[in-house]
Amino acid sequence: MSELNQPESGATDDLSIDKLEKVVETNKDLYDELNKLTEVEAVEAFDTGEEAAAAVQEEKKAVSAAFLKIKNIYLDNDLFRYAVWSILLMLLSTTVLTIVEYDTFRDSVSGHLGKDNPNFFDTFYNTFWWSVVTFTTVGYGDVSPVTHFGKLLSIIIMLLNFGIVTLLGGAVASVLVAERLKGDDKLDESKFNGHLIIAGWNSSVPAVLRILQTDKNSTSVVILVNETDGELIERAISVFEDLDITHLCENFTNETVLRKAFLDKAGMFMILPDNSGLLPHEEPDEDKTVLTCLTAKAISEDCPVVAHVLNPENVSHLQRANVNEIVMPDEHVPHLLAKHVTNPGVPQLFDELINQEEDDKGIQQVEIPRPLMGQTHNKISAYFKFKHQWLLVGYAIRKSGFSLEDQMGESGSPLIRDMITEQLEGAGIKLSSDEHVVVEINPPDDYVIDDKHRALVLR
Amino acid sequence: MNPSPEQIKKINHFSKLPIDMCAKIAAVVEIDNCPVKEELLTEGETGDTMVLVFQGQVEVSKSMMVKAASGFTTSRKSIIRLETTDPPPAEDPISEATVAVVQLPAFGIGEFSLVLDDAIRTAHVVATTPVQYGILKLDEFSKIVEENPAIGGPVYFEVAKAAVNNLATASQDISNLTQAFFFSLTR
Repeated sequence: MSELNQPESGATDDLSIDKLEKVVETNKDLYDELNKLTEVEAVEAFDTGEEAAAAVQEEKKAVSAAFLKIKNIYLDNDLFRYAVWSILLMLLSTTVLTIVEYDTFRDSVSGHLGKDNPNFFDTFYNTFWWSVVTFTTVGYGDVSPVTHFGKLLSIIIMLLNFGIVTLLGGAVASVLVAERLKGDDKLDESKFNGHLIIAGWNSSVPAVLRILQTDKNSTSVVILVNETDGELIERAISVFEDLDITHLCENFTNETVLRKAFLDKAGMFMILPDNSGLLPHEEPDEDKTVLTCLTAKAISEDCPVVAHVLNPENVSHLQRANVNEIVMPDEHVPHLLAKHVTNPGVPQLFDELINQEEDDKGIQQVEIPRPLMGQTHNKISAYFKFKHQWLLVGYAIRKSGFSLEDQMGESGSPLIRDMITEQLEGAGIKLSSDEHVVVEINPPDDYVIDDKHRALVLR
Repeated sequence: MNPSPEQIKKINHFSKLPIDMCAKIAAVVEIDNCPVKEELLTEGETGDTMVLVFQGQVEVSKSMMVKAASGFTTSRKSIIRLETTDPPPAEDPISEATVAVVQLPAFGIGEFSLVLDDAIRTAHVVATTPVQYGILKLDEFSKIVEENPAIGGPVYFEVAKAAVNNLATASQDISNLTQAFFFSLTR
């Protein structure tokens, strides 16, 4: 019986429990030592003191972003611009006329309201009433300037007013025409920034949405683009109360439709095999996936595109279409089956990790604190272990794509380099390939991380 | 009028020669003047003369095929400007330089003609300021080298150095063009 309690691997036969405890103790000492390092202390400072400074910085950024947003609306939106002009002109004319024709407007208040001694605000309000009546060309005539100077100012105001009213009317008309041309189902642009677009509908979409709903860090704004019946989609998505889901019942290969879904502002575009309108025995048309990827990249090269393909033959087409990530659902199946034979327990581990539904459990990608940049893997590992009790499994590394310009550098004659750049750009060929993510699992202790790394931890 | 031996010695290719040897070269070179915009060398033509620029600025350019809105067309692309510093140009350049301006006391162009019969000019050279220059002919230089073999070593070494540099740049250009070719094929 005592033999059954021994470690089963032959390599550990000569290790007594005492020795194992010693190894554990030694490592603990090492981790304790690492935990005392200045970098780790700096991280703690980063977690506390710098958070307040960062919050102030964030607030400043938010204020300047709000100003910038208003400025952009003013510059881009004719209607807003002319409305601002109109309000300013009304306020200006009210102020000027209140000063120039104070007695006239004050007496008018007395006449209408029966107030013997109307105050300044009553008079100002009465003049504002005159401004609005004049501006809107209603012209009741209940009150009007009487002095020559007041009338002269009124003429100038009315001439300016004529121009602005014409512009404002034109802007309103053009907005109405544009709305009519775009259709009635135009989405509210302000809501969509960094959102997820899912093109195509199949049984995996609700599963994707379920995972998104449990992850607090991912976007909650989703646009589904497919031609499946709206009622069916409504039923399927009604359970995801925490997600803001919009359904566009249109053909997602169409550029106009992708633009309507604000692809240029999306954080991620996911293309799935589309079962819309198919009978149970029919296979989805994967050419649509390739075509959609090409269209998406033509609209926005920067928006990351993830494509789910069933047929491996389409992988090369998608790579040529510059897709960022390709997911093939069946590619892991042979490995999992084989592992049941060679390494029992490993497939169960995968199941456990992938199907983990608790928000704060399983494999997750987390930021590495900035002060730890440039440190080695063993220190980062010690930080996560003792600070958060997480196991550092590896790193997700953002690799910049191949850049022809970087590759050429300063070599050869500038004439030829310039010619290559000009000609390729002229032909619409981007000189660099897109950024992509690679994974480094369990690197050596002295592996150095930089700001391109994010930690993959087991929580 | 012939240039002085000192003027010849300012040119890189002849800088290592003793002054009496420079005097022999100066004796076969005649100083001339070239107005602004005039071509000193024309790309594609053959020639057996080296141009020695004593004063002024020139622009070196090459004809290249480029794609324009109307289709493919040939356009002249500037590569570099060369300017003397001793003495500097008598006037300001006719146009602002869009490429690097390399300054030298004096300089020679078309040096491959000192070793090759009918060497093909690989670029256009146009005066961007009034230029004072002289022409050194291959047969006259060869005759001087025959009579004074000591001249040959330093001069041919400089010509060989320029040729090797050109070869290295051309090799890198081929590498860059090949990369660009494969890159564009895969996009």
